[in-house]
Amino acid sequence: MPRIAGVDIPLEKRIEVGLTYIYGVGKVISKQILTETNIDVNTKSKDLTDQEVAAIRDLLENKYTVEGDLRKEVQTNIRRLVEIGCYRGIRHRSGLPTRGQKTKSNARTRKGPRGTAIAKKKKAGK
Amino acid sequence: MPRSNKKGPYVNEKLEKKVQAEKASGNPRIIKTWSRGSMVSPDMIGLTFAVHNGRKFIPVYVTEHMVGHKLGEFSPTRTFHSHAGGDKKSKMGKR
Repeated sequence: MPRIAGVDIPLEKRIEVGLTYIYGVGKVISKQILTETNIDVNTKSKDLTDQEVAAIRDLLENKYTVEGDLRKEVQTNIRRLVEIGCYRGIRHRSGLPTRGQKTKSNARTRKGPRGTAIAKKKKAGK
Repeated sequence: MPRSNKKGPYVNEKLEKKVQAEKASGNPRIIKTWSRGSMVSPDMIGLTFAVHNGRKFIPVYVTEHMVGHKLGEFSPTRTFHSHAGGDKKSKMGKR
């Protein structure tokens, strides 16, 4: 199984899709990489030659921010917002949506699972 | 939609004048302002603003990281008091 940027690429998938298993690589960047390295998007990951894998790896390292570095970058951006105490930072602090969505209903992605009255009591008892 | 780049960042003209005056004075005082829509420019670093939130003025000390944000972002307009459930939680915790 080829490892690129610390992530296993699934063997049976087309490389165009396989690359999107890397954090920070979606379909668009995946296609860009493959056109630049002159690899056919339809090749299965297992059919890649070692040179091709090396070429992809090289390009990813030099041109794009992926995985750990990208996660770190996102975190520092959020920390900056929180530290300067702006509106978005406050919303991050309180775990609510930052882009003006309504919170009367929904917003469950940010708020997390719904706490029912009974469940809350249980938690508080601990 | 964001503001057109052609126009450059928006800073209220009177505020801009005040910023320059306070900077020149050497001993800057707090600048009271209602202009929440003004962008924080690099000139404002180190100054303190009192930004109106509709009810009172919130003191905002401008640091380097705040450049590019708007003054209103640092002066929340809504007050949130925790829900009744939240209070119960804290009471339960004390026991």
